[in-house]
Amino acid sequence: MSAWKDVQKLSFTDASARERALGIVDEDTFTEFVGPRNKMSSPHLPILGEAIEFDDGIVTGVGLVGKRPVFVISQEGNFIGGSVGEVGGAKMVNTIRLALKAYEDVKEKYPDSYEERLPAVVISFETGGVRLHEANAGLLAHAEVMDQIQNARGKIPVITVIGSKVGCFGGMGFVAAATDIIVMNEEGRLGLTGPEVIEQEMGKDEFDAGNKALVFRTTGGKHKYIMQDCNFLVANKVAAFREQLEEIMEIPFAEVENYRRIGSLKLVEEQFELVKLAAELQPKDSKEMWKYYGNEDPDQLNELPFEEFLKNAKRRERNC
Amino acid sequence: MALHEMNFEFKVDNPKSINKEWSHLGVVGSGDMEVLMEKKDFDGATKVKVVTPVTGFDKVWGMVLEKFVNESSLGDVYLEINDNNATPIIVSLRLRQALAEANNSETGGAN
Repeated sequence: MSAWKDVQKLSFTDASARERALGIVDEDTFTEFVGPRNKMSSPHLPILGEAIEFDDGIVTGVGLVGKRPVFVISQEGNFIGGSVGEVGGAKMVNTIRLALKAYEDVKEKYPDSYEERLPAVVISFETGGVRLHEANAGLLAHAEVMDQIQNARGKIPVITVIGSKVGCFGGMGFVAAATDIIVMNEEGRLGLTGPEVIEQEMGKDEFDAGNKALVFRTTGGKHKYIMQDCNFLVANKVAAFREQLEEIMEIPFAEVENYRRIGSLKLVEEQFELVKLAAELQPKDSKEMWKYYGNEDPDQLNELPFEEFLKNAKRRERNC
Repeated sequence: MALHEMNFEFKVDNPKSINKEWSHLGVVGSGDMEVLMEKKDFDGATKVKVVTPVTGFDKVWGMVLEKFVNESSLGDVYLEINDNNATPIIVSLRLRQALAEANNSETGGAN
C-alpha cells in the first residue's frame, strides 16, 4: 500500500504537516519544495540554543487535483508551536509566487481552456503566528504572505485548511481571514488572540482558557461554521479534507469571490452589521448566537455526531 | 547558549547501506527528533551528526547510536539528527523507524 493511501485514513489532527501536504492532493502527485534534504533551517535559533528543524516547521510543495496544480503550504504545530519565522515565511511567500507564475504559464499555454488547469494555493494552518525568537523577521514574513495573497486575488483561489491541535491564531489568524475559502473540522480553531493570552491579559472572568468546552464553542470549527467565518466543515480525516478540496475545485472561479468574508465594500458593510448586532445583543456566550440564528437547543446541537450536526445546524444567512 | 553539535563514526563487519538514496523521518517536537539518512561512500563507515540544545549526554548518545548501528549492521550512511530533548528510548525508536522507511521500496518520495 502506498504512503498516500495510508495517509488518507489518518485523522487530520494526528497527521504531521508532511502527511497532510502529501494527502490533500491526488495520489503520487506531491513534490516537495525545499524539503528536509535542502536543510534550510532557521539561522536565528542556534544562537539562542533552540532546537532547529530541517524544514523550519513548514512543508511546501505542489501536487495535482485533477488537472489543476495545487500549491500546498503546511505548517507543523509540533515544532515551536508552528510559529512562523524568517525561513518558514520565505517558503510560504515563494510558494504563492510560484503558484502565480504557474498561473501566467498556464494562461499563456492554454489561452482558451486555462480555467480547467487554473492553479490554486492551499494553506494548512497550525500556528500561533509570529515566532517571537525571530521577532521582526517573523513579522515581516506575515506582511509578505499577506502581500502575496493580495497579488493572487482575482487570479487564483487561495484556500485555508484548519484541522490541527494548535489551530490558527495570532498574526496567521489575519492571514487565514484574508484568504478566499476556509475549510475546518470540529477540532480546528480559528481566532486572533489565543485563549491563554486573553485569560492572561484580561483575567479568568473574561475568558477561562482552562474551560475546554468554552474554548471550543468560541473558537472551534462548529461555531465558525454557524457564524460563516468558515465556509465548509468536514470530518476529521485527511481524506475528508481532500474530498472537500476536490469539490472546491469545481467552483467556477468567478464565484470564488462570494465565499470571502473580507475584502470589498459590501463585505465591510456586512461585517459592520455584525458589529451592530453584537452591540445590540451583548452575547455572553456563543450559544446565544446559535440560538439567534435559529438553533433552538444549542446544547443538544453541540452534542450531535458530526453528520447530524451538519444536517441540523442553522447558519447565519449571508446577504451577498 | 549555542546549539550543541556532536559527531560520531562507527564501523561494523559486513556493513550494508540503505535502499533509498535518502530518507527523512520525524518532527522536532518537544521530547522528539528528526533524522535524515543519506547513502554516502564512507568506506563502510556510518557517520552521525547530532544537533541538540542538550549538553552533558554525549556518552549516552554514543552508546545509543553504536547499539543501533551494530544491530542493523549499517554502513556507508550519513545520519543527521536534529534533537529536542528526546530520551534514549525515543531516539532508538525513531532510528529504527527511519531505517525501515529508508529500506521500504513501496513508499514513494525519497529515492
